[in-house]
Amino acid sequence: MEEDAETRKISSSFLRDHSYATEAADIISTVEFNHTGELLATGDKGGRVVIFQREQEVKSKNQPHRRGEYNVYSTFQSHEPEFDYLKSLEIEEKINKIRWLPQQNAAYFLLSTNDKTVKLWKVSERDKRPEGYNLKDEDGRLRDPSMITVLRVPVLRPMDLMVEATPRRVFANAHTYHINSISVNSDYETYMSADDLRINLWNFEITNQSFNIVDIKPANMEELTEVITAAEFHPHHCNTFVYSSSKGTIRLCDMRTAALCDRHAKFFEEPEDPSNRSFFSEIISSISDVKFSHSGRYIMTRDYLTVKVWDLNMENRPIETYQVHDYLRSKLCSLYENDCIFDKFECVWNGSDSVIMTGSYNNFFRMFDRNTKRDVTLEASRENSKPRAILKPRKVCVGGKRRKDEISVDSLDFSKKILHTAWHPSENIIAVAATNNLYIFQDKVN
Amino acid sequence: MEFKLEAHRIVSISLGKIYSARGQRGGLKLHKNLLVSLVLRSARQVYLSEPGCPPEPPPAPAGHPEEEPPPRTAAWAAEEPPLPPPPQDEAGRDCPGPRPRRCCCGENRGGCAGAPPPPHCPRKRSAGERGQAGSPLKKPRREEEEPPPLPPPPSPPCEQEDMETGNVASLISIFGSSFSGLLSKEPKGRRRPPLDGGEAAAGTAPAEAAAEPGQICCDEPVLRTLNPWSTAIVAF
Repeated sequence: MEEDAETRKISSSFLRDHSYATEAADIISTVEFNHTGELLATGDKGGRVVIFQREQEVKSKNQPHRRGEYNVYSTFQSHEPEFDYLKSLEIEEKINKIRWLPQQNAAYFLLSTNDKTVKLWKVSERDKRPEGYNLKDEDGRLRDPSMITVLRVPVLRPMDLMVEATPRRVFANAHTYHINSISVNSDYETYMSADDLRINLWNFEITNQSFNIVDIKPANMEELTEVITAAEFHPHHCNTFVYSSSKGTIRLCDMRTAALCDRHAKFFEEPEDPSNRSFFSEIISSISDVKFSHSGRYIMTRDYLTVKVWDLNMENRPIETYQVHDYLRSKLCSLYENDCIFDKFECVWNGSDSVIMTGSYNNFFRMFDRNTKRDVTLEASRENSKPRAILKPRKVCVGGKRRKDEISVDSLDFSKKILHTAWHPSENIIAVAATNNLYIFQDKVN
Repeated sequence: MEFKLEAHRIVSISLGKIYSARGQRGGLKLHKNLLVSLVLRSARQVYLSEPGCPPEPPPAPAGHPEEEPPPRTAAWAAEEPPLPPPPQDEAGRDCPGPRPRRCCCGENRGGCAGAPPPPHCPRKRSAGERGQAGSPLKKPRREEEEPPPLPPPPSPPCEQEDMETGNVASLISIFGSSFSGLLSKEPKGRRRPPLDGGEAAAGTAPAEAAAEPGQICCDEPVLRTLNPWSTAIVAF
């Protein structure tokens, strides 16, 4: 990071705090800032979406540097559990991804998806309400028309601010497999949804059909060797998108070349290091997240142990590789047993593409500065950080003597994992989801 | 030997994962189960290629040039040159006709040593009737019950010591065949009709006969009869 921990003060505010035992439905499954950073949306396993809004900056004598904090703006149930009668399967209501649309009028729009269905939600404010109807009274009861002797014009009167969320579109029945990604195109008219084997292109206005643009399902399912794990549109070129696979490869596709983009325009793969081969090599090379940089020049991928930055112009290897928690490499068998090896960590860029961030275990998350090559491990926990306190860098001790503040690998809590993080588009504000708690950290420069 | 033990352990864990994945909410997770099957395959390769007295040495499938049959199992070694499959009748699923290699999934090694395949049609038929709806609890137990009633094979040098190991090893060979795409050489002419995604093919037509001798042909009927793990894989 540019500043030392000393000179940089970080304030933390805790939202969605649950003092009781963790309810499974409260586990946060996705976090996303909108394009201005004014709103922050979270989705959870129970199908709910909670949106936070940053309060206006308060410049006062007492707190000259106080930045706006995030408060709950709207909460709604996005998805409900469903049952697929044909396959006798329950469809989970867990929100897999939320993506915001850029704001075009007073209302906010976001896409939220579970395993099978994508929904477009409109979030709008209402601070006036009409009063003085003729045919119904203030309670809403209908009035007897014969009793009306005077006509009046309804007027709008101010009311307490109400934020309402309405589902404007439901995009259903297009995915046989579980949706893992959605991505809004830079044309703001289309978006794509990706499941394990197929990617579909939608128009926001049309819900009853979508175009299939990638299909990697083999004719014989027994020949299946890889699945799609994540997909994203290029931030500026509306014809370009990438998708990552469970084999650790990334394909860049150009929709202008063909209607079905089964043939990639670019193929990014790093040759495997034979010295690292183990039973679990294939699992740990599976890419769990892919993100374009804001500039559109780079893509970042996350696999189990590393984060890699790729230059779009170089396909044969990444330009940067960062070790997130290499000390886990010797523990892969245990992590396989307790299923942790299947955890899907996400990764994010900061606004200027100079810092990348991703999560780890024990409520640790890591930041890597691409310019200075410095990295830091921080912890999101109530015990270790009070509001307004500076976050202290953490360190994992790999072997030998453990220093006072270090944590040994064996005492890491693997049930506390940070899979989802988000970075404000222009400021140094980050949102970190630790199981059912959301932590927001702000950077304060004196 | 430690590699063998570790491989064996990983195979057991993997099978347990596939088994428990069947009941989880939200349906089978294709990605996770694919990864588990890849681990299973790697562990199986190590398990089979390690020297030592294997409790259950299944023959290597046709597409695996790197696997060598364990030297001590002479009965298997006789197997290695491709044998023409015994006359198969694929008609119906009643008696799918065990192939020389695949039938040696722990139950009737005797058949593989050249003797005519023992009649385990009754077992397969009844297992087939169970189909998808069979209670998962019953299936593993059945799996363990079945080997004893079969005609005693000419005992290979290494008898299987305990049923559990035998089960695991037999399932290794099943999985070895069922993901043909994962093997280094794909067996030609895989004939099973493509499954619709995500649907357990409970009632699809039986697989057609294997075209080539020594072909991997552990297809649907055999898979389904044996246990829920294989059914889970088939269900992809």
